[in-house]
Amino acid sequence: MNDFVLVFKNLFRRKLRAGLMIFSIFIAFAIFGVLASFERAFNAGQELAAADRLVTVNKINFTQPLPYSYYGRIAGMEGVKRVTFANWFGGYYQDPKQFLITFAVEPRSYMDVMAEEFDIAPDAQAAFVRTRTAALVGETVANKYGWKVGDRVPLSSSIFSQKNGARSWDFDVVGIIKPKKPLIDTNFVLFQYEYFNETRSFAKDTIGWLVLQTTSPAINDKVIKTIDETFANSPFETATDTEKAFNKAFMAQLGNIALIVTLVVGAAFVTILMIVGNTMMMAIRERSREIAVLKALGFPGGRVLRLVLGETLLLALIGGLAGLGAAALVTTAMRESLANFVPGLALNAQIVVLALALMVALGLATGLMPAVNALRLKVAAGLGRG
Amino acid sequence: MRPFLLQVAAVTLINLKSIPQRFWLSLSTVVAVALVVMVLLTFLAMSYGFQKTLSGTGAADVAIALRGGAAAEINSAVTRDQVRLIEEGPGIDRGADGRPLTSAELYLVVDGVKRSTGTKANLPLRGVGRDGANVRKGITIQAGRMFAPGSNEVVVGKSLASEFAGFDLGQTVKLGTSQWTVVGVFTADGGVFESEIWADAPAVQSLFKRENYFQTVRARLESPAALASLKQYVESDPRLKLDVKTEQDFYAEQSGQTTDLIQKLGWPLAIAMAFGALAGALNTMYSSVAARAVEIATLRAIGFGGTPAFIGTLVESLLLSVIGGIIGAVATWLIFDGFTTSTLGASFTQVVFSFHLSPALVLQGVGLALVVGLVGGLFPAIRAARQPIVAGLAG
Repeated sequence: MNDFVLVFKNLFRRKLRAGLMIFSIFIAFAIFGVLASFERAFNAGQELAAADRLVTVNKINFTQPLPYSYYGRIAGMEGVKRVTFANWFGGYYQDPKQFLITFAVEPRSYMDVMAEEFDIAPDAQAAFVRTRTAALVGETVANKYGWKVGDRVPLSSSIFSQKNGARSWDFDVVGIIKPKKPLIDTNFVLFQYEYFNETRSFAKDTIGWLVLQTTSPAINDKVIKTIDETFANSPFETATDTEKAFNKAFMAQLGNIALIVTLVVGAAFVTILMIVGNTMMMAIRERSREIAVLKALGFPGGRVLRLVLGETLLLALIGGLAGLGAAALVTTAMRESLANFVPGLALNAQIVVLALALMVALGLATGLMPAVNALRLKVAAGLGRG
Repeated sequence: MRPFLLQVAAVTLINLKSIPQRFWLSLSTVVAVALVVMVLLTFLAMSYGFQKTLSGTGAADVAIALRGGAAAEINSAVTRDQVRLIEEGPGIDRGADGRPLTSAELYLVVDGVKRSTGTKANLPLRGVGRDGANVRKGITIQAGRMFAPGSNEVVVGKSLASEFAGFDLGQTVKLGTSQWTVVGVFTADGGVFESEIWADAPAVQSLFKRENYFQTVRARLESPAALASLKQYVESDPRLKLDVKTEQDFYAEQSGQTTDLIQKLGWPLAIAMAFGALAGALNTMYSSVAARAVEIATLRAIGFGGTPAFIGTLVESLLLSVIGGIIGAVATWLIFDGFTTSTLGASFTQVVFSFHLSPALVLQGVGLALVVGLVGGLFPAIRAARQPIVAGLAG
C-alpha cells in the first residue's frame, strides 16, 4: 500500500463527511471562477488596448461632439500613422430594449486602424467602402438576430432622426466581423458615416471621437500633447489619452468591480477555510490511535505529516477542479445572454493557474494544524485514546 | 403532552449545553452562515439604496415631457416652439406672478474627477429655467446662494460635491471654453438631483451651442390628476411629438435596470454560498449527533422518545444559524449601511447613492440563515431519532 492509497482511503473513510467538505470547496471555487471571469471580461478593454493607439475626445466629455475637420487635421500631424473616427448612433433593433452598439465610421480608415482586431473578408471590406448603405455586423450580433450577408435590416436611433422625419435607417449587411483574438468583442454594427451625415436631421459634420495610431508607442506622450495643444482655447478643446487609460477610466465609472469580486471571493474562502480546517482537525483527532500505531510501527514523523497534508491537498484539488469545471460551464452558458453587458466572458488560463495555486494554498492551510497535531502526538497518549 | 414537552425541553437543553464541546466546529458554522448573510445583505442594501435614491426623486405632481421614445434625458430633444406650446397647456400650476410653473431644461454630460479613484467620471450639467427650483419640491440651498440668471455660475448637489473633486463652494470649474463659479450647494431630499450641477439654461445653451433646443420640459401640475388633461393636450397636437409622464414615474423606471442587475448578482451568489455553508452545517450537526450517540441511546433506553432527540438536534442547528444570521446582519449594518458610492445611471451619468439596510432586507437575510439551519439540522436530526439504541449504547 503506497502513501497515495493510504491518503485516499483515509479521506473517504467517512464518505458523507468527505463529500460535504468537497462540496463546500466546490462551491467556493465555482464562485471564484465565475467572478474572476467577470472581472477579467470587464477589464478586457484595458488588456486588449493596443499600445500605439490613442483616443481623442471632446475635453468637456466624450459624449460631446467634435468637428469633422479634426479628422483631416490630426491625420496631418507628426507621429500620427493612421487616424479614424466614429460616431455613436444610439441604435436599437425594433424595440428600444434591444439596443445595439452601433457606430457610424469612415470605412477604409476604421478597418485599417482596427486591422489587428477584426477579421473582415476582403470582398466585404470592398463592399463596405463602395456601398453607401452598407453595414458590417459583428459576429455576436449576426448570431443573435440571424442576420446574413445580403440582408436588409432597419436600425433605429434613440438619438438621431432622418431629415424626412424617419427614426430608422435601412442598411444592407455586406459582411460579418469576426474576432482575430480571443476576448475581442464583436457585439456591434458599423455603417458608413457619409450616409449617416447626409441623412441625419441635426448635428451635421460633427463626429463622436477619433482613434489614432502613432508611429511608435514611445512618442505617445508627444502626440497627445501636440493634439491637445493644437485645439486648446478653440470652441472644441480635446482630451487625448491612450486607449488603455480611456478604457480603464470608463470601466471605473461603473464602480469598483475588483473590490466587490475580492470581497465576495474572500468571504467564500474564509468560510471553507473554517469548515474544512475544523473538520480535518476533528478527523485527525478521531484517528489518534491509528496515527500512534503508524508511529509505533516506525513511520517517521515526516511521512505522517505528508499523509495528513496529502489528504487535505487531495480534498482541495477534487473540490477545486470540479468547481472550476462548473465555473467554465456557467460562464459559457452566460456568455451569449450577457454579451451586451460583459462581452467576452470566459474562464482563461490565467484564472485556472491562479485557482490551482489557491487549491494548493487551501490544502496546506487546512492541513497544517491537524498535521502538526499528528506530528506531535505521543505514541503512548495516542494509543490510550478511544 | 406535558411529559413529552418536558422530554423535549430536557433533551434540547442537553443538546445546547454540549455545543462548547464542539466549539470550533460550531463556530465555523456560525461564521459561514454570517458571511453568507453578509454577502446577500450587502448586495440587497446596495440595490435598495440605489432604488431609494431614484424613487426619492421627482414628485407625482411634476410632469416631464421628453421627445417621443426617448428613455433618458440625454437622448431627448424639445424645440423652443414645443416648450411654448407646453407652457400653454392645461393643468399647469401658476407661480405668484401668474406665469405657468415650468422649466425648459438641458441635460449635458461633462467630465469630473471622482475623489476616491482620481479617474474621470460623467457628471450631469443641467441647464434649468428660472423656475427650475420652484417647479420641483424639496430643493433647498444648503450653503451659498442660487446662481444669478445669465451668469456663469453653478450650484451643485450635495452628493456631487462630496464625491467629486473641484466642486467646493467658491471654486471655479472649467467647462468647455468658459469658467464657472460654484456659488451654492443644494439638497434635494436625497434624490438624484443631488448628483447634478445646475446652471442657468441660456448660459448652458450658448456654451454648448444649442441655442434652439432643450431636452426636457418640466411643469408643476395643479394636482397629480391634472396629468391626464396635459397628456391629452399633448397627444392631440401634432406639433408635440412628446411623451409626458410624472417625474416620479420617470425616475422609478430608471432604477429598474440597475437594481435588477445588482439583485441578479446578489441572490445567486448568496445562494451558492449558502450551499457551501449548508455543507458546513450538515457536517457540524452530524458530528454533534455522532458525539452524542451514547447519550442519545441512554436517554432512549430510559424511556425517552425519538422525537425529543429529533427536535433537540434541529434546535441546535437552528440556533447556530440564527446566531450566524444575526451576526451577519449586524456586521453588514455596521460596515455598509450608509456607505456612499456612485455608479453610472440610466442617463449615462454618475448617480451618487448610499447603501441602505432596511428591516425587510434583514428579515430576508435571517430567513436565508434559517433555511440553512433547517436543512442542515433536518437530516442529522432524523439520524438522531432513528439511531438503534443497542448500537448507540455500544458507543
